[in-house]
Amino acid sequence: MKVFQRCTVLLLFAGMLWLPCEAKNIAVVVSKSNNTGSITSADLAKMLESTSRKWPDGSNVTVVLPGGATSQDAELVVARVFKLNQAQARKFLADHKSVFVTGSSDEDVLNKVGSLPGSVGLVDVYSINNAVRVLKVDGKLPLEQGYLLR
Amino acid sequence: MLQKLRFMLLALISSALLAALPLWAAAAPDAPASTLPITTHSKKARQLFDSGLVKMENLHSIEGIQDLRKAAQLDPDFALANILISFESVDQAVDPEEKVAARERAKAARGKVSHGEQLVIDWVANSSEGKIIPAIQAMNSVLEEYPKDKMLAWLGGIWIENQQQITRAIPIFERAIKLDPNFAAPLNELGYCYARVRNFDGAFAVMQRYIALLPNESNPQDSYAEILRMAGRFDDALVHYHESLKIDGNFWVSQLGIADTYALMGDEERARAEYATAIQHAGSRMEAANWSLQSAMTYVREQNYEAADSAFRAVAEKAHKEALAVPEAEAFRMMSTYQANNASAVALLEKAENALDHNNHPLPNMNRQEELALILRTRAERAAHDRNTSLAATTLKRLQGLMDATNDQVIQLQYEGAAGAVLVAEGKYEQALAHLQEDNRNPLSMKLMVVSYSKMGAREVAEELSKTLANWNEPTLEQALVVPEFRAKGAETASTFKRM
Repeated sequence: MKVFQRCTVLLLFAGMLWLPCEAKNIAVVVSKSNNTGSITSADLAKMLESTSRKWPDGSNVTVVLPGGATSQDAELVVARVFKLNQAQARKFLADHKSVFVTGSSDEDVLNKVGSLPGSVGLVDVYSINNAVRVLKVDGKLPLEQGYLLR
Repeated sequence: MLQKLRFMLLALISSALLAALPLWAAAAPDAPASTLPITTHSKKARQLFDSGLVKMENLHSIEGIQDLRKAAQLDPDFALANILISFESVDQAVDPEEKVAARERAKAARGKVSHGEQLVIDWVANSSEGKIIPAIQAMNSVLEEYPKDKMLAWLGGIWIENQQQITRAIPIFERAIKLDPNFAAPLNELGYCYARVRNFDGAFAVMQRYIALLPNESNPQDSYAEILRMAGRFDDALVHYHESLKIDGNFWVSQLGIADTYALMGDEERARAEYATAIQHAGSRMEAANWSLQSAMTYVREQNYEAADSAFRAVAEKAHKEALAVPEAEAFRMMSTYQANNASAVALLEKAENALDHNNHPLPNMNRQEELALILRTRAERAAHDRNTSLAATTLKRLQGLMDATNDQVIQLQYEGAAGAVLVAEGKYEQALAHLQEDNRNPLSMKLMVVSYSKMGAREVAEELSKTLANWNEPTLEQALVVPEFRAKGAETASTFKRM
């Protein structure tokens, strides 16, 4: 027998014994010292395509994207923000390689966000810890209905 | 399957907790420790906490919870005892109000316990309040602070698994087992996780270790049997379900497992006999009603719809008399799914909805809303199938309203499945897939995904998914409705399917 969650019986009725898995939500994170609470998708697009990016206080923005085994997460973000397909998103990332700092894993992205002033990172929401602040994107947090980066 | 809920999360985290807890009875906040400190001023409360966990580890969860309650009564500031009582996946013996009260006690004691315990409180309390982002942050932070605490690894794995992040849960369970190779409880979960990602060889190996560690317990045999069944090894599954019953003749979930296995094997008459035995020993009227629905499904598998109607009506009548609104509604909803006559299907769905509104059927709002979502989904699918665009649109709108008014994943899934079905009927396959992929463990949605991929020319993806569906062995009505068609067609795609 399995450890189930509260809704198992209804899931059984709903045609499945478990909920679907692995729905991906990418969180936009900044260090705790950054007071920003939200960002628009237009701002995020600017950050992703230009090197001359500033926070409202005038400080420079450094974008830290997931690479290595998590590089698909970066593709997902670019695809959602610019409404591209996967191949186009991959090309965008290759063309803008010099614009980003890349982390080898979510943990690495979080470490870089903690150590690079003005940085903004993109990580799987299930990787986040108390060292970072999660930004709303267009007024929504990850896991909320209608969140852009999922 | 409801019986399987008896031994819930807390039962399975217990061994980890016990092994991880320091032996001292009281701790100063912020005391350095390699494992999570546990703060209580009462030695007796600590003893009860420990004994409660032992009982839960031995699958006596109701008695175990009672010990935790006593511990919390002796020391109302015993934050960990309270927060574990409040855990959202904890045993059903704890009612929602008690969980909320326990959670609030834990939060009230937050300032009196160690930093690690504070993180656990933040994690579990936020989770139960639906604040998942801070819950994730607190969980990851406490796991980082105590990387050698197998209890935390185990608890984290369970929580992440319940968030449906299976590939993320796997390394956490592996970490718990690495910390203590004789730690049996995470082996059970890890086996199911491997099975869910269809790594059956890995799952079998883990389950064999689980059995070796607990040779006198039924659950390892039962779990192994279920995973063998998922892999389609029905005869082997039956052997291990019987082994489970040999160890404990009252482990009735294994009897249900036997019945479900015969149903999936196609021996429906034998399945009904086995279900009858299980139903006789059901632990509650609700459990008996749910198992009776399973039994009624055997007629659907036989395509003996007249007998299925009779069986489902009998369940509905009994459930009505016993004021069990959800099984009554389910019986009517299930009946509607195989009706050839559209008007009959619509009328049955009306009856299902009415069953939720009987004044004499007490029903928590969440259960009512989730069941209503299932009914609306079925209605939308039926309307889409019948090209009744008006009914499909109004039903989908109701379902969306229900989804927007709640933050309930079950309801969201019903919306995604229904929206996908309507879009497939409209020939909008790419848009449909965006919805259907969110509901990718329901055979109805999986079938529509096969249709969509086929129509879009993605034959390889469609064939791969068809193969998965042909080997889908979960004892649900949707499996009964969808899978035989795929088994008959082998690896062919669904371009010629009769429905949709």
